[in-house]
Amino acid sequence: MIRVAAVGDIHMGLDSQGVLRPAFETLHDCADLLLLAGDLTRHGTPEEARVVAQEVSGLPVTVVAVLGNHDHHDERPAEVTAVLRDAGVRVLEGQSTVVEVDGKRVGIAGTKGFGGGFVGRSGSEFGEPLMKEFIRYTRRCAEGLRASLHELAEQGCDARVALTHFSPVPDTLAGEPLEIYPFLGSYLLAEAVDDAGADLAVHGHAHAGTEHGITSGGVPVRNVAQPVIRKAFNVYHLRGEGQAEPRAEASADRPV
Amino acid sequence: MNDDAPVEYRIAHLKERLAAEQLGELGIRVEPRGSSVTVVGTVPTANCREELVHTAREELAGMTVHFDIVVAESAAPDHPEELA
Repeated sequence: MIRVAAVGDIHMGLDSQGVLRPAFETLHDCADLLLLAGDLTRHGTPEEARVVAQEVSGLPVTVVAVLGNHDHHDERPAEVTAVLRDAGVRVLEGQSTVVEVDGKRVGIAGTKGFGGGFVGRSGSEFGEPLMKEFIRYTRRCAEGLRASLHELAEQGCDARVALTHFSPVPDTLAGEPLEIYPFLGSYLLAEAVDDAGADLAVHGHAHAGTEHGITSGGVPVRNVAQPVIRKAFNVYHLRGEGQAEPRAEASADRPV
Repeated sequence: MNDDAPVEYRIAHLKERLAAEQLGELGIRVEPRGSSVTVVGTVPTANCREELVHTAREELAGMTVHFDIVVAESAAPDHPEELA
């Protein structure tokens, strides 16, 4: 069994130091790794990133993160990333990492992701350059996620997790105003997850959403935004038997 | 802000301030409710809550404002979820 702790949207500022550390210090009892689903800071300054870094440095579990939109606000995501990496956090953007847990290999593919909306109610690559770039940016994020998940499959991971900040599905947005769904996520992320396969997809961003969702391909989705889970983190147990297969391979086994 | 401006614009300006100023807050819902305004959401710290209440009272001066602002809980979970 693989124990995955996850939280997003901790929005740490200079007054946040030590708020989550007591709970994080219990991780060695209940989790094998900690996923941070973006919006780790309020404004994306290196000073705020140092607060986050201190909060997670030296923890007895591997910490894997993606950035969120707040972590980009000060337009210094590379500096924020560097501060976190100096503290040992594996920060992913269109990348993957593998964590060894009791002889099993857990692969995490990560991207911040972006908006655009969900099937039938989404933006298109059409019209003004800014509008086209909006959707193209999301598509690039999704392609990075897809490629990373495929890489993890090729590496023979026993479990694979897709880690994003924006949501891949509308399910976990329930509670948010419908009008803002296109700013909260994109079906392109779910399509990438379903195409490449995963055992779990974790995201944040939707503070008024709900925790549980599922992709069209059957991958469980969890919104771990701290205001949603109302804890320092949640823990998910995965069997870690390499059961998630890419869609094409999985469908080949189905009776017709 | 002009106290006589339509409430929708005053709420929009409050939302802009919450995002642009020190709070950097995008996740708070501010909605007209009859003759009053409700401000609902979760913030990271007690300091953020104080700042949010102060900013809302300033921007919506003269209006009745009802707050339901929760500070994010930071306890460890007491049980995991088993994913089949």
